[in-house]
Amino acid sequence: MSTNDSVENIQEQIVALLPRLRRFARNLVRDPHDADDVVQIAVERALLRLDQWRSDARLDSWLFKILRNAWIDEVRARARRAKILMPEEAGEHIGEASMEREIDRWSAEASLSRLPEDQRLAVSLVLVEGLSYKDAAEVLDVPLGTLTSRLARGREALQEMLRLPEGDLS
Amino acid sequence: MTISDETLMAYADGELDAAARASVEMAMQEDPEIGKRVARHRALREAMQSAFSTVLNEPVPERLIQAARGQAAAQKSAIVNLSIAREAARQEKPTAPLRWQPAAMAASLLLGLGLGFLAWHGSGGALIRSGAGGRLVASARLAEALSTQLSDDRSADRVVVAGLSFRNKSGDFCRTFYSTGSDASSGLACREGTDWRIKALAQSPRAAANSGNFRTAASEDSPAIRAAVEGAIDGEPLDHAGEIAAREAGWAASKKR
Repeated sequence: MSTNDSVENIQEQIVALLPRLRRFARNLVRDPHDADDVVQIAVERALLRLDQWRSDARLDSWLFKILRNAWIDEVRARARRAKILMPEEAGEHIGEASMEREIDRWSAEASLSRLPEDQRLAVSLVLVEGLSYKDAAEVLDVPLGTLTSRLARGREALQEMLRLPEGDLS
Repeated sequence: MTISDETLMAYADGELDAAARASVEMAMQEDPEIGKRVARHRALREAMQSAFSTVLNEPVPERLIQAARGQAAAQKSAIVNLSIAREAARQEKPTAPLRWQPAAMAASLLLGLGLGFLAWHGSGGALIRSGAGGRLVASARLAEALSTQLSDDRSADRVVVAGLSFRNKSGDFCRTFYSTGSDASSGLACREGTDWRIKALAQSPRAAANSGNFRTAASEDSPAIRAAVEGAIDGEPLDHAGEIAAREAGWAASKKR
């Protein structure tokens, strides 16, 4: 197989992963348009760094990690802009009407979006994307123990918000 | 036998090794409460998976597919920043001079701040220095250009060229400027006391790719600077006679008429 073939092969694998990348991005980023922009940035970065991808690693985890880092860069850039130029926009998302809270109480999406980011991402990677704890910890650049405690806290908060009926084991 | 919730969670997620799994299963048989806790973890996992499956069935935007196939990068440079990307998209349409949206302006200014402050030197020395209170002001070389040149004087041998002149909302005179050469850049400075204070800076990648073409580096072609001008300008730019009068007066701020 020539190098070119394998690059094209990876590109097609990335194309196949786009729906999941978009899903993860939407759990990472509030605005769907921003989410797609971050996916695009991540994919472009990934193609530039294909040599850094170890083929024994999962392509999805690797892309999730690039995507998350792209978003971190963007958030930092926005924070700088907000500080320098648009102080009035800071804290835009802090207030949330309690009425609204009641209305989407049962929505899993709304509940997840209300978790602190570290818990939200742990839940998103493990429960939604189905990554192993080890892969999720790698994406988030944290030790395994940190990942599991974030996941446990996130789960607990979600259980509380969603009040899932207790399952029947039999 | 007590089992931590984290262990039960790991069990529900299929993360335990065979031995640990067996001990959880034994505990579940002995204590139905443990079984219920495991079931709750599983139910949550399923709820989260199904809640977020809709996006998987949405059509993927073509631009993302192209990006994944490396086609977008061939058409234009990779996106480095969301706002800049949007700005670039906006720039693809021809825009009338001096019409921008505030958000684009903010983004462009940042581009100017980020790239410009660190790397901004015209050929032959810095054009910017740190003035009183850490403010960025024009170096002697740039200040001389700003104080003496007229906008319509475009002698080809100039490295630093003063462009558009106007009065801002405080009545101060402001001028755009640009440098030519490999690191062509443009900026906006306003007269404050005896200094020309730098209000915005931008490097011009297009100018860099096309050095020698003065027009390309002109302030009118930098979105950051155009936006900065639009944010600051009060009334119309100075005409030739207005510039001469302002120069005669040492660019001293005057009350608006």
